[in-house]
Amino acid sequence: MTPVDTLNTAWMVWDSLAPAVKGAVLQYTKELEKFLAEIERRAFRMAQVALRDPDDALDVVQDAMLKLTRNYASKPSTEWRPLFYRILENGIRDLQRRRTVRKRVMTWLPGAKEDPDNEAQDPLDNVADAAPAIPEMLMQAQAMQQLEDSLRALPARQREAFMLRNFEGMDVAETANAMACSEGSVKTHYSRAVHALREKLGEVW
Amino acid sequence: MNELRRDPFEERSRALFQDSVENLDMRIRSRLTQARSAAIAAAAGRRPWFLSLTTWAPAAGVTAAAVLGVALWLGSPLGHQTATLAVAQTNLEDLDLVASSDEGAGDAMEMMQDDLDFYEFAASAANPDSAA
Repeated sequence: MTPVDTLNTAWMVWDSLAPAVKGAVLQYTKELEKFLAEIERRAFRMAQVALRDPDDALDVVQDAMLKLTRNYASKPSTEWRPLFYRILENGIRDLQRRRTVRKRVMTWLPGAKEDPDNEAQDPLDNVADAAPAIPEMLMQAQAMQQLEDSLRALPARQREAFMLRNFEGMDVAETANAMACSEGSVKTHYSRAVHALREKLGEVW
Repeated sequence: MNELRRDPFEERSRALFQDSVENLDMRIRSRLTQARSAAIAAAAGRRPWFLSLTTWAPAAGVTAAAVLGVALWLGSPLGHQTATLAVAQTNLEDLDLVASSDEGAGDAMEMMQDDLDFYEFAASAANPDSAA
């Protein structure tokens, strides 16, 4: 085989490889988008339960999406969910830490009023909803609000275990992976969370 | 993944959560879609290692051109002269091998004898009529 033939063969191999590689990347991008679309609303609500503020919740969800796609997209798709929730929980914890620091600084400042939630009120929160207020829906919203308040009062790990197991429907192994702890710890956290929530919300809830 | 839930408390809390997810307002849904699109765009921008090879295509082209140049040069009369010199040197080495009388040379002769047998066999296989 002459050098020119060798070169021709090499170019043919390269030309046939490039579309295949691009096709594979397109495929995993589609899978990733499907995964994020499937998970994003629940993730947002979980972040909102932990942080209360919807804009903060949106920020941590967006950050988690970016980190997952930038750093872990090449991982098998079965690992995306626990990885995503681990990133999300880290983001939530970071934000809560920053809030605590800000709160302490604010109390040192002379004349500064301490905001118990340390968050600016969104004017839109006070605007009445245009949707008709159906009593059943109102009751459900009220019950969910009670549940959210009770979840916020739980220790972070218990809240995390409860939301991943109950809201997200993860099994013990997957939850342990997302929380970076043992399966035994997940069971303990979850059981304590259910017990504490029952005590707080009572039977009538 | 979704294990069977019998506890009414757990069932109720999950149902309430699902309702709240389904009733998210349009502003939040829209912002989530934007966030997802940004994340996917970032993923597409950061290509995996095997795709990043395509970014080396210009460099590969230059290298290929250089290789082609060398190949053509070797094919040219100037290059051929060098090649002829190399062949002459190889022939001299072969002659040395054949002419030498040390132990290794005996082995080499045996190998050549084997090759001759093979060439004879190949010639007869190619032209069965002439072999007969």
